[in-house]
Amino acid sequence: MEETATQEFLHNLRTLPHSVKEACFRLGKAPESEREESQATFHNLFLHIHSVRVHLRTLSPTLTFGLGLMATASFVLTLITGVLLMVYYKPSTDLAYQSIKDIHFAVFTGRFIRNIHRWAAQFMVVVVLLHMARVFFTASYKKPREFNWLVGLGLLVITLALSFTGYLLPWDQLAYWAITIGSNIANSPRELTDAIGITKYFDPGGFQKRLLLGANYVGQDALIRFYVLHVFVLPLALVTLLGVHFWRIRKDGGLAKPEDPMGGLAEWGGERRPVFEPLATKTYGLMALVKGQRPPVNRGPENTVMSWPRLFWAELSVFMLTVATTLILAFYSDAPLKELANAAIPENPAKAPWYFLGIQELVSYSAFTGGLLIPVIVVVGLALIPFLDRRAGGEGTWFGTKSERAVFWQSFLFALAVTAGMLAFTVNYGWLRNWSPNIHQLWIIVINPGSLLVVIFAGWSILILRRKNSVRLAAVSLFTCFLVGFILLTYFATVHRGPNWHFYWWPSQWPIH
Amino acid sequence: MNDPSRFYRWLLLVGSLVTIAYLAGAAVHENYLAQWKTVQREYRDILRQKTADDRGRELLSKFRIEMKQVSIPALGAVDRCVTCHNGIDDPRVTDAALPHRTHPGHLLDKHPVDRFGCTVCHHGQGAALTFQEAKAEDVYWDYPLLPPEMTEAACATCHDPEKLPSDQVPMLTLGLKLYKEKSCGSCHKLGGRGGTLGPALDNEGAKTRHQLIMTNVKPPYTTWNWQTAHFRDPGSIVRDSQMRNPTVTRGEALALTVLMLSEWRRDVPESYLAPDKIDQKHRDLHPIPLTGEQVYRQYCTACHGNGTYSRWDKKFGRFVPAVRGDSLVAGAPRDYLRTNIEQGRPGTQMPAWGPHAGGLHTEEITAVDEYLRAGARAAPPMPSLSLRGDSSRGLSLFLTNCAGCHGMHGRGGIAPEIGNPVFQQAATNEFIVRTIRNGRIRTAMPAFQRPEASALGDQDIADVLAYLRTLGENKNQSARTPGSTPPPPVGGKP
Repeated sequence: MEETATQEFLHNLRTLPHSVKEACFRLGKAPESEREESQATFHNLFLHIHSVRVHLRTLSPTLTFGLGLMATASFVLTLITGVLLMVYYKPSTDLAYQSIKDIHFAVFTGRFIRNIHRWAAQFMVVVVLLHMARVFFTASYKKPREFNWLVGLGLLVITLALSFTGYLLPWDQLAYWAITIGSNIANSPRELTDAIGITKYFDPGGFQKRLLLGANYVGQDALIRFYVLHVFVLPLALVTLLGVHFWRIRKDGGLAKPEDPMGGLAEWGGERRPVFEPLATKTYGLMALVKGQRPPVNRGPENTVMSWPRLFWAELSVFMLTVATTLILAFYSDAPLKELANAAIPENPAKAPWYFLGIQELVSYSAFTGGLLIPVIVVVGLALIPFLDRRAGGEGTWFGTKSERAVFWQSFLFALAVTAGMLAFTVNYGWLRNWSPNIHQLWIIVINPGSLLVVIFAGWSILILRRKNSVRLAAVSLFTCFLVGFILLTYFATVHRGPNWHFYWWPSQWPIH
Repeated sequence: MNDPSRFYRWLLLVGSLVTIAYLAGAAVHENYLAQWKTVQREYRDILRQKTADDRGRELLSKFRIEMKQVSIPALGAVDRCVTCHNGIDDPRVTDAALPHRTHPGHLLDKHPVDRFGCTVCHHGQGAALTFQEAKAEDVYWDYPLLPPEMTEAACATCHDPEKLPSDQVPMLTLGLKLYKEKSCGSCHKLGGRGGTLGPALDNEGAKTRHQLIMTNVKPPYTTWNWQTAHFRDPGSIVRDSQMRNPTVTRGEALALTVLMLSEWRRDVPESYLAPDKIDQKHRDLHPIPLTGEQVYRQYCTACHGNGTYSRWDKKFGRFVPAVRGDSLVAGAPRDYLRTNIEQGRPGTQMPAWGPHAGGLHTEEITAVDEYLRAGARAAPPMPSLSLRGDSSRGLSLFLTNCAGCHGMHGRGGIAPEIGNPVFQQAATNEFIVRTIRNGRIRTAMPAFQRPEASALGDQDIADVLAYLRTLGENKNQSARTPGSTPPPPVGGKP
């Protein structure tokens, strides 16, 4: 019997859920064969950046600790909560503070949303730094991943900039004075131009500060600049670079890993397969697509498994772990909001955001050295690592080359002792200005605890280079020294610096205001 | 080897469960556990018990559990206090417990909540929705809730405190009285009038706790706790404070604290100001001159006492001279006192009080000058001297006889500085000679022409005078023409 239009319509209505599902998901069902699993991966916009098969090492939790994914996850969290906050936030010096108070008190779950935003942002900074350390210590920056190391460095800088620009927006005392300090760090080249008396003609410090603030002080112009950077320019830049970063991971052959042994066996779910013997008449390259000989020529198949679903379980679990951690922090600990910004009541001590406190400690010795010279040396040095350490080996393995772990611990203890000693000396005996009040500022710019630390670390690294005859080990020692120095200085300035930047054992000993 | 994704699946499960739990927790926390919702439910129950008539029932049916706020842009206030103080202007709940109770007294008749809000009088954090955050004593907020007995300080925002009935603002009235009685103006400026030894007190009430050193104050660290403790014993709160104990009772210290809190020139729209406040603003710009006695009491007694004796000042470490003694007033030249009041005594604690300094009007200075010289007897005539002095001999005499108190080179010690330009200009030779000869009654300055062996003769005094005049020259070398005049003859024209 011929189907009437009514029957057809009713049939379509009945099968509606099925047809909608089919339309949305190209496979239409859970994949059952490896072929369908590959389709599930590469037919999906969000998954197709992954390769269809993934090496087993990639799934090992201790190779990466999921740090890159955590950073991405916290960025997604800040993005979502950030949009929600934008709905209520008003970027005007008259209204900003009250709008944050409203978010805090009156907006439904506003306090929770703001806390998530804040904790996710803090988490992101920490995790991005750890991620960089992970990539370094597993030598994952080596060829062909040099460019992605640079992209990662760019992402680190943008992450710090995002966090810093967000710091000002609440327009409270904490924000106002932290940004005042931060912008004075931008002004630090002036110490040098003042010392040689050319500020009148050439004033890069003043230019930087005015570029950042739009004025000579932190005011409405600065607020709008920071707002535009924070909600538009920087997120856009970050998302773009993040795309490049992911793309390059795929194009550079996934996570860095050592070659599998000959005739390797897939350790899980795999089977022993014979080594592929090439025919002499064929080249087996996918030259136009990937560098090197990609088909497993002269070796056994790699220890790979299908990405679907194991890699996605892994990624999703790290994502949810990040979300859960952030929610717990946000539930119990409120994002700070001090009194309304007041230019007449300076915070004492006025401290920059915590990740800049190491720099602020250095700035307290010399603005130019600590605020410009050393950060530039560090960033340029980081960027040069993959181009100066070019010998292959150790990729994708923690402390992969010979005696790397020993050099790490030696450098760790060395840097700890030197930095702590330098801090103790400075606190107890002061520096050139205390000993000789009329000394020319140029001397202090050249010789100060910060510049001395850099020189000592460089000397230590050269010593390792000579002794161990290894560029990689020299790089490990230098990176470790700077990492330890950064952490120790940050800790010191956070805990032990009080009003007027004086030393205190604990903040509870500060004079009460 | 196990499936490596097993670990991740467990991790995913745990992460997702924790996430769901905390999202749900946050929803419950915000929805059902909010303090103010409980308060509003209690209030609804109270209304239910009290409702007897139709109108009451109608009002009750309209009562919603929701956040309430009074927004007054003109005062920059968004006050959510009424979210918990639901019955603040409802006469039915006068006997209920806090926070449901009606506002006590009749103040809301003239200050309706929807026009004034709450924080303009009470301070505190109006946006907050818990009592702890609204009180804001230990959270980050500049102006915490004023204690009830100090709330009257805020009346001065829109009213002239002097015109308010004293039974309504007892503390403020007492504070104003004490301010004059204790002669606070001797050292502190207020509205441009007063001394300069202490900080000006304008806008003292606008200060936040971060502007005051709280190290020696007992918590909570509020500005009023600082003020009260400071009024009881300034030296124990501010190190090296020059302020002497005002010797006030605890109640008086509180009253002075209220006065300080009331000193807050907030920018309030004119429509909120009482007419007398506008009068007060006019009066501040064009003050009515005080009588000589009033000026003396308000601006001089803190240092000079009643002015008839010189007193040793522990904090200053020196004598504060008598300014009403016969010997000074009668012996000094006509303009001596006046010049000193107007221009101050550089090198001593005595500030200038002229219109551009201490803010006293010319007629007020005239009045106080007359007040000081009232009743003084005329000085006995003095045989004139016309000896020429030798300043180098004068120096050695000065060192032996005078420098002990007046300091090397007359720079001042426990006794006034003599080299200061105002003294050099205002003191005539006759006055100086008379003072050295006869001393100053009821002060530490002795008479040097005594019938004793060490007494200074007329020539000695002439020499000292000659030396004293060189001090003025040295001090003002740049101001005077070079090759200045020789020491003037003693006893000559002033």
